[in-house]
Amino acid sequence: MEKTILLAKSNFRKNKGTSIGLFLLMFMAAMLVGVSLLIFLDAYPTAAKEAKRLDAGDGYLWIGEDLDGIDDEFIEDLLGADTEKYETYRCLGYSNVSLPFGNGNVAPGLIVYDSAAFETKMNRTEIVKEDISITEGYIYLPYQFNTSGGYELGDTYTFELLGKKYSFCVRGFINTTYFGCNNTGNYEFILDDKSYDELFERDGSVAETIIISFKLKEDVNPGSFRIRVGNDVLSQNPGALALAALLPDTISNKTFLSLILAASFLTLTIIIVVVIALMLSNSIANYIRENMKTIGALKAIGYTGRDIIGSLFALFITLSCIGSLIGAGFSYTLMPVMTKIIVGQMGVPYTVSFNPICSIIPVVFVVLFTFFVTLIAAGKIRKIHPIVALREGVENHNFKRNHIRLDKSVFGINISLALKSLFTNMKQNTITFFVTGLLMFVCVVALLMYENFSRNPKLGILTFETCGGVVAFDYETKEDALKYLEARNDVSNIRSMIMLNLNYNNEDRLVTYIFDDVTKMNNKEVCYKGRLPEYDNEIAVSGRFAKQYGYAIGDEVKLDYGSKKHSYLITGLVQTCNNSGKEAVMSEKAAQHLIDFEYSPAYYWFDCDDAKASQKILDEALEKYGNHVVSAMNFFDTLEGNMTTFKDISTLMLVLLCSISAVVIVLILYLLIKAFIYNKRRDYGIYKAIGYTSGSLVLQTALSFMPSIVFAAAVFSVASYYAANPYMSMVMRGFGLMKCNFYIPVPGVIIIAIGMVTVAFIFALIQSGKVRKIESYQMLIGE
Amino acid sequence: MNTLIKTNKLCKTFSSGGNMQHVLKNIDMEIYEGDFTIIMGASGAGKSTLLYALSGMDKPSLGEITFGDKDITKMSTDELAFFRRKNCGFVFQQVYLVDSMSVFDNVMAAGLLTNKNKKEVAEKAKEILKSVDIEESLWDKFPTQISGGEAQRVGIARALINSPGLVFADEPTGALNSKTGKDVLDALTAFNESGQSIVMVTHDITSARRGNRVLYVKDGEIAGECNLGKYVHGDKERHQKLSDFLISMGW
Repeated sequence: MEKTILLAKSNFRKNKGTSIGLFLLMFMAAMLVGVSLLIFLDAYPTAAKEAKRLDAGDGYLWIGEDLDGIDDEFIEDLLGADTEKYETYRCLGYSNVSLPFGNGNVAPGLIVYDSAAFETKMNRTEIVKEDISITEGYIYLPYQFNTSGGYELGDTYTFELLGKKYSFCVRGFINTTYFGCNNTGNYEFILDDKSYDELFERDGSVAETIIISFKLKEDVNPGSFRIRVGNDVLSQNPGALALAALLPDTISNKTFLSLILAASFLTLTIIIVVVIALMLSNSIANYIRENMKTIGALKAIGYTGRDIIGSLFALFITLSCIGSLIGAGFSYTLMPVMTKIIVGQMGVPYTVSFNPICSIIPVVFVVLFTFFVTLIAAGKIRKIHPIVALREGVENHNFKRNHIRLDKSVFGINISLALKSLFTNMKQNTITFFVTGLLMFVCVVALLMYENFSRNPKLGILTFETCGGVVAFDYETKEDALKYLEARNDVSNIRSMIMLNLNYNNEDRLVTYIFDDVTKMNNKEVCYKGRLPEYDNEIAVSGRFAKQYGYAIGDEVKLDYGSKKHSYLITGLVQTCNNSGKEAVMSEKAAQHLIDFEYSPAYYWFDCDDAKASQKILDEALEKYGNHVVSAMNFFDTLEGNMTTFKDISTLMLVLLCSISAVVIVLILYLLIKAFIYNKRRDYGIYKAIGYTSGSLVLQTALSFMPSIVFAAAVFSVASYYAANPYMSMVMRGFGLMKCNFYIPVPGVIIIAIGMVTVAFIFALIQSGKVRKIESYQMLIGE
Repeated sequence: MNTLIKTNKLCKTFSSGGNMQHVLKNIDMEIYEGDFTIIMGASGAGKSTLLYALSGMDKPSLGEITFGDKDITKMSTDELAFFRRKNCGFVFQQVYLVDSMSVFDNVMAAGLLTNKNKKEVAEKAKEILKSVDIEESLWDKFPTQISGGEAQRVGIARALINSPGLVFADEPTGALNSKTGKDVLDALTAFNESGQSIVMVTHDITSARRGNRVLYVKDGEIAGECNLGKYVHGDKERHQKLSDFLISMGW
């Protein structure tokens, strides 16, 4: 054992640079695997864990707008038979409220409570942090307002409800399962009792709402239950608004953005880890080749193959153990950066804590991988004779062809010799080619995410329809308001669109977008197959829904709303990330088979120049129609608010993945060029002796690695351009996006390719500078 | 006779673990144009160190080396590289051809350093390879696919491709058998007869006979010099003169 350690120490001393390079690769592999595992196994499930801890039950039912006939007795009849327990509380509820958030606004549903919200037994609301010195005129905001919205304790939060502005001092941030995240469509505010009473006094008659949290009996199908309770409430009071949400949908909506990013990060990490693994195996094999002479000497003086292999294992396993342990540990320090955005976006408090699985797996992975690579690479040592090892193994050259004959070459001597090196080092160059290519792909995907989620958000993916603003009028004024909007010069493409939950087969629901004229849709790309519906018997359903229930274009699907049912012909498939990918679109004529819109409010979607124009239109409509305006949304502001977290994440991903790629390329070039120079040191001595300058040899060496890098950057930039969308489709299929067509900016791809080649060339030049240290004289006389 | 190289108080000292080893001690010597100069001496006497110092491959610790009118000890590494490619050719004991290049490209790689015209360099390479009896069928082979003698003659061709002022040969026959060693010496002799200046380090008396001037290095100094005159094959008197000189030097 002692002699093994002695040899291992000697190996390390002799190959410090390579050992440190390998150590860094092991460290990075462990760190990336650790971060991915922590995101997936620790951070991502936080929303579900918190829901369980807060006893969120199986869902909630929101009944609002008109509560006539909705009393305790009705609720007991409605829920008693199917639930283990439920809890009812009355509060104020508002639809599509424009709330300042981040750099813009969001437009969710909003429920407003008083301090009684903290006393519920089911679906508890907890304070994440508060400032108890604030005693009046205060508000508790969902935690997401702190993590992503940019608000702090003591800030003043101003918003508007039914045309009146309110300002409160932020006393605290709350953790709530169903009303804490914009992606679930609803927020919850808690006011001090006095402020709440005043608000109730003003808005109670129109905004009083009942929220019922429920826990279903085991044998109750949640989908059917949701449809039944919605229908029963409408039967009791057709004027009531009844929305039932289920916990799995809420969790899915809360986490889908995080999951998209976590999944993207994981798959890209896997590519980087494959690259690292590839390099690790190549470097260990190189390491052994470089030390062949020492191995021969040791064998000659009586060391057995087992002794030598043991020392290599001792070195590499020690390196991998230390590297992976530090890497796994370091993943915890990287987590706050990742989770601040990813988990913060869910609106759920999360603190990174030690997770044994996420720490052990990276270590085991790296150590086992190193073990097997060493086992395979070191196996040859057993068979090699001392004299062969002393001659540094059998020289292997490719004698098939004399590549780039110097007398026939069209290039100068330096480039010709660099090309010769390229061909004689085909293995290294093949590795460089694939490594650069895969990293290029990683960067292009990161660019795609940055471009479509941050720089120029791909709205069609995040929202079913885009516009400049939305203003809704009650049924009394809707026709007059339409004429008013049409008469304005700053408004264009006005279309009426309303969302409705249609039920399918008593087991699922489709969030259906109903347009007066589907041809006016801005986001026609939402239909990725077939066509959008035109006639009153047509519908386009989401690809995810069609796949789940076995429908195709041309099939008929029967949907119901309340007591009415109707069959529609599927004309196309649509895709979105919202509502778990369960969405549909149809014309108003088609929807009239199920619902009468005469007394419904009208939601007018319009286009306009910018946020300022939109706000002007909305303000003037509010001024003209007052309380007849049911809802108003400046789409530009809302989008900005919604995109705040997404922008941060995708920018971080681009920076992180490009940096990691640059570090990996640099490390790989370090190891490859180091091995290359070592193996070619005799040739460098000869070149120097016959009159080649160090500068030209440095250039030759660096250039010999460049063709594979340039070629990979060129080939993979084109390949990645075409493969990135299919890759995203694969990753995002689970969220409802069946066929991605994200925009990939060609200049961005070119910049990445040039950047990668430049980084590689600069580092190759720096690393090749070691050729300067080779003294031809000392090399030639064997010193 | 024109002087090609002149040294002034040339010293080379190696230090190892605090111990100083003076390998060359205040050497004053000259190398003349057209000569086939032989440097002889016992192992460790400093002959190879002297050869590599004269050629600018290794820097002396002290002293001057004037090649033509230039002091090469004051040159930078890159200037020395330019100096070597224009003025020096090298033939090594271990040949040191680049294994990953064909025989022809090994010669071309040196030739293209001073002449960018590939056609001219290729023509000259062919001419020189033929002159050292390397058949055309071997030109596309790799160094490990030819014999040691053939490889050494390719080495000579490489050394001569740039028509250097001086060829430095370090034990060129040391790794060869007597037959192939003779072929190499014949080639060098033939080039010298056509006016090529050569400095050769050897400890082999048969090889040394080819030179017209023999310098004997002992303990880092030029201990003696013997002028043999022009090489004539089978000249016993000349052989005896060399033997006597070497005996007087303690050979």
